[in-house]
Amino acid sequence: MLHYLKVWLASARYSVTRTMMFRGDFLVWSLVEFFWMGVNVLMVSVIYRHTDSIAGWNRNEMLLLLGTSMLIQRMLMGFFWSGIFEMGRNVRSGNFDFFLAQPGNVMFMATTRKVDPDGLVNCVVAAALVAYSAAELGLRPGPGAIALYGCMLLCGLVIHYSILVLSVSAVFWLTSAQGVEGGYFTLAEFSRLPREAFRGVKSVLFVWLLPVVVVSNAPARVLLKGFDPLWAAWLAGLAGLWFALAVLVFHRGLRRYASASS
Amino acid sequence: MRVALEKYRQAFLVGLQSNIVYRWNFAVRGFFSLFHLAVVFTLWGAAFAGSASIGGFDLRQTLTYFVTLLVLQFLISAFNEDYQISEEIRNGLINQFLLKPINYFLYRFSIFVAARLVTGTLILLPLAVALPFIHDSLVFPAEGWRYAAALPALLLSAMIQFSIAYCFGMLTFWFLEIQGFVILSMAVEAVLGGQMFPLDLMPEPVFRVAQYLPFFYQMYFPAAILTGRLGADQVLPGLAIQACWVVALLAVNQLLWVRGLRRHTAVGG
Repeated sequence: MLHYLKVWLASARYSVTRTMMFRGDFLVWSLVEFFWMGVNVLMVSVIYRHTDSIAGWNRNEMLLLLGTSMLIQRMLMGFFWSGIFEMGRNVRSGNFDFFLAQPGNVMFMATTRKVDPDGLVNCVVAAALVAYSAAELGLRPGPGAIALYGCMLLCGLVIHYSILVLSVSAVFWLTSAQGVEGGYFTLAEFSRLPREAFRGVKSVLFVWLLPVVVVSNAPARVLLKGFDPLWAAWLAGLAGLWFALAVLVFHRGLRRYASASS
Repeated sequence: MRVALEKYRQAFLVGLQSNIVYRWNFAVRGFFSLFHLAVVFTLWGAAFAGSASIGGFDLRQTLTYFVTLLVLQFLISAFNEDYQISEEIRNGLINQFLLKPINYFLYRFSIFVAARLVTGTLILLPLAVALPFIHDSLVFPAEGWRYAAALPALLLSAMIQFSIAYCFGMLTFWFLEIQGFVILSMAVEAVLGGQMFPLDLMPEPVFRVAQYLPFFYQMYFPAAILTGRLGADQVLPGLAIQACWVVALLAVNQLLWVRGLRRHTAVGG
């Protein structure tokens, strides 16, 4: 475990040093993430110009949910996105051989190799959105609630990571995962919607079968409505289940990898 | 003229073949877009629960707008053409075009048309699967003139989409990495192109300003014609502004190509 922590710290240090060498690029990518968050906030604001409630949630509650969803996604972007994104390209080009030759778990080595400080910078913006909407709602969560919220965000991060690894692992079967990895972003859209908006088949599929709604709704509820053991257990269970599935599919795919380099 | 056309016909056929190789990739992407539709239907369904009309349109009209937008995305929008052009410049593959009697813009445009033909056809597949579930939510206006007006609007939109992607690709002559700019512009396009919400829901002054920007004509304009969000009196002036943007963007494309080549250094054999 300590060995992996040291490997990750070395990779993170390298990523930060490299980012500081391309400061202009860092600025542009920070703006990219910031703009996309702005787009989502704008969408919520425009809709609430014409209505007072979405599935019983008012504007500030929706912003808190949106901030929570974005916080998890920014953490994913910061810690894992580049590594997983490049994994798809590396498998296609044969450069994935590099990871097979490294002294450690292939999935760990391939998915944690790069850290993007621009994604992490925008975590602050997403956290500020959560803090702003909580203040507007008059919420005063105690240290316990905040700690629980943090734990649930981590569970959400595990779920997002697993979905992304599953999406990109398709590259082992398809010629290219380009577009398929975009499926992650499509599924992530569900996490910006309140659970009450899902009814019938949609509720079964997106609330119960896929963890795309609970991933953000569970932590947001801790701040909005207090601790609910059922939601907490559900989220933790899903995190374990989806991580196990991602590990399984990744290693199944790895068996198909035949290397494409010369 | 015929010889010239033959060159681009061949480029079109090559583009067709290379895109068909990735047919499953596009098909999966198309099926994932059904999830996006599910998000749209859920969000707007919940928003309309409290009011029968938003911005003067009912739920069915709003959902029809988003379904139309989805089809148009696969039919006319630029996917990763900017990235492909950027890679060709960065890797020096563009050198081969400098010595041959071929116009690089037309070459890339031929491939773009081929790619959209493939993706535009493939989106019909998931749409056919979804149609039994969503057809009750769709309501298209009956006026025939809308379909006649939408045709030139769609062609001009495709030109705008490609020209903007081409511009970003050309930036590689100046910048090593353009993906940041591309995704930054995608955020702007998502809002001002009406992909996140119909533009007419924005405050009136903002909507008026947006009408003079090229993003308005990338996707929103043809979709709004087809779904009845624009009146007959707005279509002709809109087409005129759209044509002006096409001419302006083509000029910028040419300028960037000429200026970029001056900076370009071809190395190796």
